[in-house]
Amino acid sequence: MATWTDRAVGMGLVVFSILLFTYYSIWVIVLPFVNSDHAIHHYFLPREYSVILPVVAALVLVLFIGGFITVVLWKNKQKKKVQ
Amino acid sequence: MTKLMEWLLGLSLIGVLWSIVTFDLLDLRISDQYLQVAWPLPIYLLVAFGCYSLAVVGYRVATFNDCETAAKELQEQIQEAKRDLQKKGLHF
Repeated sequence: MATWTDRAVGMGLVVFSILLFTYYSIWVIVLPFVNSDHAIHHYFLPREYSVILPVVAALVLVLFIGGFITVVLWKNKQKKKVQ
Repeated sequence: MTKLMEWLLGLSLIGVLWSIVTFDLLDLRISDQYLQVAWPLPIYLLVAFGCYSLAVVGYRVATFNDCETAAKELQEQIQEAKRDLQKKGLHF
């Protein structure tokens, strides 16, 4: 048995990804076939955001990874200088 | 044909089909609702794949079993290796 923190984090990730997938699938695939005066459209942003948001999120992720690598390499260089 | 070539061929085929539908290159006159589903499709597939990967990672983190004895053994071996290397002059 994994520790309870491991299980909580793991199950949290699973639930989060299922929720995200369901919301995004309804947004992209189901909504175009729903009447434009149906109330469900209030729960979803305009369609352009269904493309803009993932692109922005991917950019943020790449910047974060790049920044992390930069910080680690910089700290490594500082340590080498001290030695 | 190498695997890379196969994947590139498959992806470009799908890309061509998607472009034909989205940019109306063959005058297919597809109904408006299907067009609205088609144009975000590549990003939708990427997001779906990302969600699947996240779910698999989360599930395997949750179901990975602890091995108490192996962990203890590993810690002892680490300490032994540290002492050995320090004797031979390596600084930590």
